[in-house]
Amino acid sequence: MASITRASVSMPSLSTSVNQSQRRISGLNSVSFPVSGRSMIPSLRLQRGLQVCCAAKQETVDKVVAIVKKQLALPADAAVTGESKFAALGADSLDTVEIVMGLEEEFDITVEEESAQSITTVQEAADMIEKLVEK
Amino acid sequence: MASTSVSRPQILSLYRSILRTARQFTDYNIRQYSRRRAVDGFRQNGGLTDPSSISAAFSDGESQLQVVKRQAVVYSLYAPEVRSVMETYLAGKRS
Repeated sequence: MASITRASVSMPSLSTSVNQSQRRISGLNSVSFPVSGRSMIPSLRLQRGLQVCCAAKQETVDKVVAIVKKQLALPADAAVTGESKFAALGADSLDTVEIVMGLEEEFDITVEEESAQSITTVQEAADMIEKLVEK
Repeated sequence: MASTSVSRPQILSLYRSILRTARQFTDYNIRQYSRRRAVDGFRQNGGLTDPSSISAAFSDGESQLQVVKRQAVVYSLYAPEVRSVMETYLAGKRS
């Protein structure tokens, strides 16, 4: 029985391969076990919509929060978390475009048009940044 | 050519294109100015409700985008070797 918690997976029946896979697993959305021969559990892929585990690193989320606060001129102690929606923080669509631009400059990435329009929360932005930085 | 009403995604796409193109300027002054002008211009027209004035503002924005694109090329041809003190100062402060 495997239970997927925040970035830690333990399979007591797999002994040697666990060490190798655990090193790779931290902070991934998709988990696949390199079991020789038969696969006990098919490779599990967490769908985007489930958002069971937060894949983005905390420092990425912190940087995103800092940029959002600067753009929306929020005070430093305003409560902005991964789940905060930009619209709830008082951002209109122009603000969202500027926030995405700021993120592009900060992380030196290029966000495509469709992906940029689908970002509504801080967590989504951080996840997308992680995905683009990995490439 | 264009549909009678301009949609929100189109406007946001134009905004993004202008900001992206303005980033390419090598000269600090014109880069900051075009960014500021784009932000102010889009916010000022944000409250328009009449479709004809919206599409007028949109086509105005499109022609401005063409201006920015051309000027980005022209400015890069005559880029000075010395960077603006604002850039060096800010870069020094950050690092």
